[in-house]
Amino acid sequence: MTTSLFSHAKMPTCCVSIVLAAMFLSCFPMPGRAASWEEVQKEAAKITSINARFTQSKHMSILARPLISQGRFYFQAPDSVRWEYTSPVKSILLMNRGEIKRYTMGSRGLVEDAAGSLQSMQVVLREISQWSQGRFTENEHFSATLKGGKYPKIILTPKERGMAKMISRIVISLSADRPGVMESVAIFENEGNHTLFAFADVVINTPLDEALFRKSQ
Amino acid sequence: MMTRHIITAGTALSLLTVLFTACSTLPVIRPLDAAGTKAAAERCRRPFLDAPHRFVHAIEAGITERSMGTVLGVTLFDPTSGIVRSAILTLEGFVLFDARYDKGVEVFRAVPPFDAPRFGENMMDDIRLIFLAPQGRLLRAGTRENGDIACRYEDPRGQTVDVIVRPDDAWEIVTYGNQNEPLRMVEAFSVKNRIPEAVTLTGFFTVDYKLRLTLVSAEPISPEEVKKH
Repeated sequence: MTTSLFSHAKMPTCCVSIVLAAMFLSCFPMPGRAASWEEVQKEAAKITSINARFTQSKHMSILARPLISQGRFYFQAPDSVRWEYTSPVKSILLMNRGEIKRYTMGSRGLVEDAAGSLQSMQVVLREISQWSQGRFTENEHFSATLKGGKYPKIILTPKERGMAKMISRIVISLSADRPGVMESVAIFENEGNHTLFAFADVVINTPLDEALFRKSQ
Repeated sequence: MMTRHIITAGTALSLLTVLFTACSTLPVIRPLDAAGTKAAAERCRRPFLDAPHRFVHAIEAGITERSMGTVLGVTLFDPTSGIVRSAILTLEGFVLFDARYDKGVEVFRAVPPFDAPRFGENMMDDIRLIFLAPQGRLLRAGTRENGDIACRYEDPRGQTVDVIVRPDDAWEIVTYGNQNEPLRMVEAFSVKNRIPEAVTLTGFFTVDYKLRLTLVSAEPISPEEVKKH
């Protein structure tokens, strides 16, 4: 009963893909003051690789303090990704040349997820491919608004009512004093419930070992 | 012809299984003297914390070992009022399920497939079995054949609940149906200050399932905090 559903816990596809894509976006350098989508696309085109540390803070009304997850994120253009959680649960998502694998640490060690549960992650690849080219306005699930000013933001709002029930908005804050650097990405699910991604030690356009995107170790 | 034989053999096996479970008996709990019985009954409360707590667990779950998936679980409970609040999150932080139990289940959020009928009730049954002391009458307190302390309760639904506490504070809870068939089994390991580092729950229903909870954090909270959520 209860657990037959947990085997599908990677779902729902759209939400997970948006979370991953937003996280991906959050360590992407952006034009300072974010004047236009054209500029965003122009800046995005310059990125060949990203290597960053991340902290994920889950805020919920039932938590006195946010639930912190930490890990490392690697991207190699056009669509290779390694999204690795080191705590509280070690988990590694690898995307490379259209192949997707996820390994999770459990009672049997670091084990690869069943292939079937990852078919849906193809959506993530599509999102990343779009966003890595700065094509935020072409997302089928979210409308994107670019807000300039001292504290520039990109705000994504759901196009469909069904999605809006799950994610009310995504706010991507650009740094006010460091042009071209993302400050944070906040994914708001509902009142009192949001996830904040913050990145540190972001290194761009340096060569990454190709094995990072193929091997869990 | 071969198919017919297989069906016949399968049917016979099912009948044998039904007959076996129908005739199954509960494990023996050896009686103790009055003082021993009282001490055993007290020790059987040890797995259940007396004060409200908030737990965060990594939860591996699946029908088979192969299909295990991992999520995060946040649980608040108050042993006195019996109120439970629980949420299930993906590792990425997305809330899949959020519900509260206070004499009935109220679901705040259920993302498909967690919106399946009775999922909330079943999940709360599992959580209450793990964290809250059995409701209902204490039928017997004594020891198992291996010397472990054991108590048997009859819960308000007519199910039998056995609580077994080992010398190292590890514990086990087994529920049985009307035909004494096992329904669910909880095992706690590496217990420190009454809080287990790991808990497994196995459900013996149409399809067996298993949860493995690994402790991320545990903290005492006030009854008001549970009540307001």
